[in-house]
Amino acid sequence: MSSRMPRHLKIGLIVLVAGFAITLGLFVDVIGRIQTMVHEKEPAGNPFTPPAVPLYERNDPPMNVKVFFPGMKDDVILSAEDQTIRRSGELANRARQILQKVLEGPKSAALYPSIPKDTKLQEVFIDDMGMAYVDFSSTISANHPGGMVNEQATVYSIVNSLTYNLPEIRQVKILVGGAEKETLAGHCLLLPLGMDLSITDIAPPKEQVNHAD
Amino acid sequence: MKRIVTGFVLVILAVAVLLDIQPLSAADNDFLIYFENSTLTLKSQTLDRTVYLPLQEIVRHLGLASTDATGASTFTIQGQNSRLVLTPGSGFISYNDQPILLQNPIRRDGGQWLVPLDFLSQGLSRVAGVEFRYKPGTRRVFAGKVMTTELAMNAQSLGALTRLTLRAGSPIDVELQKETAQHRAVLVLKSRAIDPARERLDYKDALVQSVTFDDSDGMPRLLISMADDVRDVRLTSSDGNRVYFVDFVREIASEATPPTTPAPLAAAAPARPNANANAPAGAGVRVIVIDAGHGGIENGAANSGTLEKDLTLLLARRLRTTLQSRLSATIVLTRDSDIDLTSEARAGVANNNQASLFVSLHTGYSPDKTASGSSIYVMKPDFTGGLSEPAGGRMFLPWYMAFRTNAAASQALAENLQKNLNQALPGWKFPIRFGPMGVLASATMPAIALEVGNLNNDANAKMLAEPEFQAKLTATIAEAIEQFAGGGRKQ
Repeated sequence: MSSRMPRHLKIGLIVLVAGFAITLGLFVDVIGRIQTMVHEKEPAGNPFTPPAVPLYERNDPPMNVKVFFPGMKDDVILSAEDQTIRRSGELANRARQILQKVLEGPKSAALYPSIPKDTKLQEVFIDDMGMAYVDFSSTISANHPGGMVNEQATVYSIVNSLTYNLPEIRQVKILVGGAEKETLAGHCLLLPLGMDLSITDIAPPKEQVNHAD
Repeated sequence: MKRIVTGFVLVILAVAVLLDIQPLSAADNDFLIYFENSTLTLKSQTLDRTVYLPLQEIVRHLGLASTDATGASTFTIQGQNSRLVLTPGSGFISYNDQPILLQNPIRRDGGQWLVPLDFLSQGLSRVAGVEFRYKPGTRRVFAGKVMTTELAMNAQSLGALTRLTLRAGSPIDVELQKETAQHRAVLVLKSRAIDPARERLDYKDALVQSVTFDDSDGMPRLLISMADDVRDVRLTSSDGNRVYFVDFVREIASEATPPTTPAPLAAAAPARPNANANAPAGAGVRVIVIDAGHGGIENGAANSGTLEKDLTLLLARRLRTTLQSRLSATIVLTRDSDIDLTSEARAGVANNNQASLFVSLHTGYSPDKTASGSSIYVMKPDFTGGLSEPAGGRMFLPWYMAFRTNAAASQALAENLQKNLNQALPGWKFPIRFGPMGVLASATMPAIALEVGNLNNDANAKMLAEPEFQAKLTATIAEAIEQFAGGGRKQ
């Protein structure tokens, strides 16, 4: 039967089948891409990440810090919780420990976590002018639930926790996924920010004056 | 078939040849040289696609000594310690016996010497001691220390009117001559040397056909050709006569806002933070920009299918309708569809429309499911974005510091809105907060962001979706805006 099929019909059929297969392949590929875009996941552990260096030595003395978390009561957006880190020699390592506490969330039930879970702290760099560049994985922005107050709380839980406890840090510039971003989730500008205690119920630290933004 | 193809090719060739041949000599045109104290009008000639100017007239106007040696076929210009010699048909000119090459040759037509434009800057400026500035494509040259006024213009359609905005580098007087019957309007610019950024505006809509700059007789003016629908043209000045708005209106203005006493402008509003108190009759705002927060891939906060971006668009459209029925101002939305805009772009819509007020609408989200967290946001007053300010102040500010010009007015607007909302929605709280909000930072007018409810609170989310609540909310916002605008109510 098939041998009697006219030649042009055979060619047409083959072209049709091949075209269909290519279209299907493209379709599946596009759907896959869209799905990966929609469900943003943290990439699995980077194989080139250098081995973790300890953030403090065993004999580093303890250091009491105030870690800021959202706890909304009228005008107060942020409240603070006393926690302990180790006073490591390097400033950036002290900053990393504090940010780790922010990422872990509050111990008290009256306060709320400020950063979406699964967010990772990628890098901390502090320059000579006292500007701390803090790079978080992109989930901090992509998985942020939104809200202006809530976003302000997220940003200032990072900024205040660093500037309040480490007077060497005067301003904080938050990076998202290794790059600059205009706003965290459509509200708060991610330009260099200074400590703002007016949105908290915490008094300024004794040993330093309140920096202007 | 072959004949058709051949014929077709021949036709194309013929058209190409015709297009290529341009007249070598075009008709005389007026060309202007603006000197410090005088203006010289010349008849220019276009030869070989190059603009040529009559040399003798320029030399005479500058009062330079010259010799036209017919026998030697040279033209010599004497400066104080210098000499410039020209020969017809040659691009070489001799300056103190040093040759200078021009892009186009000198020409001699009968007894008239013609020089290309680059002769002015390459040759004449050396003997005359005067610099010549020329922008290609224009018909004017500015010489020496002449004070020029730069002029930029743009136009935009604002619904029932089209607004032409003129920005001058220094204050100028502008006179409007309406020739409505001829569908023409002339704006006489009372400054001697105007340097327009463009000769004509590439803009055309239902009301304005063309805008052309013309100074061919030494009197700079803008010629505007209008459509039949234009019933009235209004001129208002702002910023100490540096900015002019020309509104082309479909309908004749009502008695309340006669064209001779136009409503105060956007720039006037910030100077009067308490515009709601004792505002003069007829005072009001011209353009109000409403921003529907988020959009496109930016959903904002969410509660089981209810997205912030949809709610804000709904509220913004409702607010537009309410304001349009109450005020005579033009209401512009930053987005009227599901698109994503940057914060800067949102403020840009307000800035570009010369808005007098900017309100950004958001719904809130609190990790506390029981909270009903609403807020009115004003830009954080001490925000510098990392810049340390020198003692003497800054000459240039980054855009995100634009909010500073209207900080007090923004707060007054927020307080007024807070008062109205607290009265209209008992049980709801609207604290005024200050934060580094992107959408407010670069707005050059009183600007606030309103965040209503908590989408994490199911009762709040349900209420926000109710049309009655939305109507009450938008009516209250409109009321507050109207009070702040202080007049301009629809007749």
